[in-house]
Amino acid sequence: MILPYLAAVLLALATAYSAVVSFRQKPEEGSAKASWIFPEGAKRPTRIFISIATLLLLVALGAWFSINARNSTPRSMRFLIPEGYSGWVRIEFEVPGAPALPEEAGQPLLRIPPSGTLRTSSPEQYGWVNNSYGFYSSAGVRPIPDSGPGKLIWGKINGEASGASGKRKYEEFFVGTQQQFKGQIEGAKPKD
Amino acid sequence: MLPFILYFITAVLTGFHLYALLSFTLYGAPFNLLELVAMFGSFCLLIAAYVSLFKPDAAGRLALIACLAMWCFYGPAIAKIVRTRLGKPAAVSEFCRPSLAPKSA
Repeated sequence: MILPYLAAVLLALATAYSAVVSFRQKPEEGSAKASWIFPEGAKRPTRIFISIATLLLLVALGAWFSINARNSTPRSMRFLIPEGYSGWVRIEFEVPGAPALPEEAGQPLLRIPPSGTLRTSSPEQYGWVNNSYGFYSSAGVRPIPDSGPGKLIWGKINGEASGASGKRKYEEFFVGTQQQFKGQIEGAKPKD
Repeated sequence: MLPFILYFITAVLTGFHLYALLSFTLYGAPFNLLELVAMFGSFCLLIAAYVSLFKPDAAGRLALIACLAMWCFYGPAIAKIVRTRLGKPAAVSEFCRPSLAPKSA
């Protein structure tokens, strides 16, 4: 948490320095030599050095971002929810002893039990993902809209909870209509 | 070289800090326009760092404008921190000692 304080201190220094540079009385031509505090521009070798260093920094940053993006591309998950289920769904990740998530067409498959809580030893996926949702029953699977007017997925949150068994990562969302979701939220609010 | 180092390090540090703050909006934090203004100031300061290698006076003016833009965010933020640290917490509840003396008729 030192970064904001350091940034503020440096900003104060930069403001004071730039104000002095902007409003100071310039010495007459040839009367005084430029000091190291107020230099008259950098010399040619310095400029070349800074240009090369900047170029190298940009190339290194670009390479780092591209390698990082390639290695950590998150996979979208497929959530299967029991037909007719309405309420909060909770998925707990990295639970020791719990089964790992199966995969379907390269996508982790989360089959939510009728209780609404799924525990898995698999890790949570972070980043930009395009998760898909579906209701499952003996008749098969039908998709659940998670956007648009008929949206049935609300209030997606993820976090970390501490308990007796240590820290546990979880994800929650609500399945139901907007009215049900609002009613659920209002019902959870403490009354005055 | 001094103005370059000062402007460059300040621009990078403030830029990173403001980028981190702005990224919280992705997780639902309310968007603050002052953060965006300060971020623009940070970018201008980075430009001033490179201009200072050629024209230190022009760079100084640009850096001053950039710093003032950044104070739009840092000023109120520091004021808020100071006020929070120095201010007394408000009493949430107050205990009233019941009076044992008999009421006069």
